[in-house]
Amino acid sequence: MVDVTRHDVVIVGGGAAGLRAAIAVSEARPGISIALVSKVYPMRSHTVSAEGGAAAVARSDDTLEMHAYDTVKGSDFLGDQDVIQYFVEEAPKELTRLEHWGCPWSRNDDGTVATRAFGGMTTKRTWFATDKVGFHMLHTLFQTSMKYGDIERYDEHFVTKLLVDGGACRGVAALDMRTGQVKAVLGKAVILATGGGGKVWPFTTNGNIKTGDGMALAYREGIALKDMEFVQYHPTGLPGTGILITEATRGEGGYLLNSEGERFLTTRDYGVGTKAELGPRDMISRAIMQEIAAGRGIKIPGKIGEYAHLDLRHLGEEKIMARIPFVRELSRTYANVDPVHEPIPIRPVLHYMMGGVDTDIDGATEIDGLYAAGETACVSLNGANRLGSNSLTECLVFGARAGAHAVQYIAGSSGGEEGPLLRQAEDEAGRVEALRGQQGGGEKITKLRESMNDIMERGTGVYREQASMAKANTEIAELKGRYEQLSLDDPSKVFNTEIIAALELRNMIDVAESVALAALHRKESRGAHACPDFPTRNDGEYLHHSLVYYGPTGPRFDKKDVTLGVWEPEERKY
Amino acid sequence: MTHAVPRVDAMKPSKPGPTRTAPPRPPDKFPGGGRYPAYLAFGACGAFLMISASLLTRGIWALGNGEAAWDAYRAGLGHPAYLVYHVAAFLGLTWFVLRLFRLFPATQPYRIGPLKRPPDAVLVAGLYGLFFTVLAVGTLFLGGAML
Amino acid sequence: MSEVKKTIVVTRFDPDKDEVPKTQSYEIPVQDDWKVLEALNYIKDNVDPTLSHRWSCRMAVCGSCGMNVNGEPKLTCKDPISSYGDTIEVAPLANFPVVRDLVVELEGFMDKFKAVKPWIIAAKERAAEEGTHRQSPDELADFKSFSMCINCMLCYSACPVVSNEPDFLGPAALALGHRYNQDSRDEGADERNEIFRDEGGIFSCSYANECTEVCPKGVNPSGAIQQAKLNNVVDWAKSFVVPRRKSS
Repeated sequence: MVDVTRHDVVIVGGGAAGLRAAIAVSEARPGISIALVSKVYPMRSHTVSAEGGAAAVARSDDTLEMHAYDTVKGSDFLGDQDVIQYFVEEAPKELTRLEHWGCPWSRNDDGTVATRAFGGMTTKRTWFATDKVGFHMLHTLFQTSMKYGDIERYDEHFVTKLLVDGGACRGVAALDMRTGQVKAVLGKAVILATGGGGKVWPFTTNGNIKTGDGMALAYREGIALKDMEFVQYHPTGLPGTGILITEATRGEGGYLLNSEGERFLTTRDYGVGTKAELGPRDMISRAIMQEIAAGRGIKIPGKIGEYAHLDLRHLGEEKIMARIPFVRELSRTYANVDPVHEPIPIRPVLHYMMGGVDTDIDGATEIDGLYAAGETACVSLNGANRLGSNSLTECLVFGARAGAHAVQYIAGSSGGEEGPLLRQAEDEAGRVEALRGQQGGGEKITKLRESMNDIMERGTGVYREQASMAKANTEIAELKGRYEQLSLDDPSKVFNTEIIAALELRNMIDVAESVALAALHRKESRGAHACPDFPTRNDGEYLHHSLVYYGPTGPRFDKKDVTLGVWEPEERKY
Repeated sequence: MTHAVPRVDAMKPSKPGPTRTAPPRPPDKFPGGGRYPAYLAFGACGAFLMISASLLTRGIWALGNGEAAWDAYRAGLGHPAYLVYHVAAFLGLTWFVLRLFRLFPATQPYRIGPLKRPPDAVLVAGLYGLFFTVLAVGTLFLGGAML
Repeated sequence: MSEVKKTIVVTRFDPDKDEVPKTQSYEIPVQDDWKVLEALNYIKDNVDPTLSHRWSCRMAVCGSCGMNVNGEPKLTCKDPISSYGDTIEVAPLANFPVVRDLVVELEGFMDKFKAVKPWIIAAKERAAEEGTHRQSPDELADFKSFSMCINCMLCYSACPVVSNEPDFLGPAALALGHRYNQDSRDEGADERNEIFRDEGGIFSCSYANECTEVCPKGVNPSGAIQQAKLNNVVDWAKSFVVPRRKSS
């Protein structure tokens, strides 16, 4: 028999969205029992790596309407405008709550919270704590969560399956990494907040834990993954490692230069107009790729490829140390470059998934009692391209909303029998037991992961050719077959990281499958999805969300309307 | 006193974990490697303070017990063993002060009272200034020049 | 990038099989711009999939990959492999029970972490509508450096007091408590200082300064603890003049 624990709300993921949801649940109904299940200790969650800031209207020269319009335009009109409206209204309140909880926001001389400029935003509305905003937000949330006695943490527990019965999700099966045992963690509602899946691609800012787990869990239960073709390439990652150099470098006045030392965003037409370096990420990443393609990239000896320069020298040491000290630490440690004296080598790097588990504005999914928030969800805030600094705020706004709605939901739910859930958990325990150290057909995790990375880089990079996307679909299907032949070497139960890697790989392949299919179906260029075969946006045929459903014989594609209402689509030019 | 034998309960969770663990090792370089000898010597300098304080107490006691007791105490201070101790204590405490002054600036907060903390160089200069002033005044006083 | 061979001597321990930890050597090709973590990942991916170690962000901010490298606690994703010779010894952090291989037991730390009440304590909670506190850049600087801890545990691995006093709250937890005490928005210093003055609190620190020496993020826990000692002594002295406010 599997171990069983019972709670009211089960939250999967301990990053910004999961922790915010946990606090929201506890505040909505003190005394409620919350399970916070995470495959890492919460302070390791990838929120920690976010650098530049979190957006919310704060200044007197700014308005909610301006933030909403910037977000709509940034999304290339694929964001749902009701969601965006709610987001901009809640954003200042959420960041203020975080201030009350102790987040060390950087300050103006008068003691008010300081804001900085960010790409695609018309005015300074990005709150920041130097350039370690995700780190400070995560630690503030985690430390604050400790005062809520209702939250019971299941650290280093890897969720392998959602327990769904009678159309309602009422728990998860979680592999306790310490013991190697599968447990049933039951609840009346489940909130997924597991982040994105950047590790599907080889060159990414994302940490090792970003394997699309929540997306795959929901996908396998029959919930659509929405807008998966839209993955964001951040313009400035360090070549080789992919380590993120924040957009705040440009918000603070940094320049992008080509091999001729030319500020190409001001001298050539890349659609960003006078915004130059403060254009949206999709456009700037394409501009860099085009500079490289035109022979104006800087060449690195060896395997890393060509890059551009991010020049901060004119900002001076004092400003760099006051505003973006982490950038200096990262550049020195990982690129051997001191930005005070030399430009930083950078190139576009996979950063964020706009798509995710299809949810409504409450974070609710098609399955009763199952919610999703943060990068793992697609509430349709970001559409085809996310604006920098909207995602940290998104975790708070929609983490809180999903938490509050989960509490409302369980008040009206009568629950159900445990038997079917426990049988599913038993089956899952059997599957995990069989996988551990399985003999298989000789396929290896490392090889399969490299194949997947390679397929996805060729098929779903900054630019996507129809032929390469079609090929990616076929190859991912083959890869699924190869996964069945996986051979594992580690039969031990205690902290077996090999079986975790195997389970993560399965999740990533599922995510990859949905990305490849959605990308193939969108025969236009919109936001982050740039197809040389169809170089313009086609609102007549493609002003819709993409949905990909799991199927045992292969994924199924569908679509869904975009909610407009305030702004009609227009040409996206800055 | 610290020792290099592992404490099996270092960083032990309040509830025992679900699987058997290997006991913690003490820091790998403790006590003889890295910076640990300096730290241990720094702590051991406390002995000088203790001995000197007891000798001083003994002197005050002698002062209150008549001229003979005071003379005997003074004679004791001329004993070779005491002279050796005195030199050792002087060297030890000087080294103690040097280490303390090296570490001290980093213990200072961003603001000291209403003032921003001065640069480390100023703090260190201030500490040495104070130290040598006290030393000079003490030497002059004990040498009789200030009586 | 030039490639050379190095021998990585890794401590292995599997409670299912091993009575005590042992070492295992791997001779692998390494790039000279690698960090130590990349060598471990190479072993995991290409040589021995049974090796267990924690890591994630590989940019020195998630705090997962602390280990002892040649006897010194290091954040392995930040520790250049070129700074070592042909043989590199990688062991789990000292002062922690070992779960498996390079993975240590963190629950003891989580207990200590929570014990210092690392959250804002205020008599009255503000509503979001009341807006943010005013906090001057100077007030922010009073605590900012102590809020930079990534919980990587290197300080615990280096501290000689941790190995001798199991109750010692330790550098990271005490520095975190001090961080909140120094925050102009917080009113919980009296509560935390009672914990600080208790058994295993700040006065157990004998100022080895190892925590500050090994901290990869410049947090200076030793400085925090010495400041807390002074604050508490002053607080104690004041209590003879003005009665201390009783905490709830």
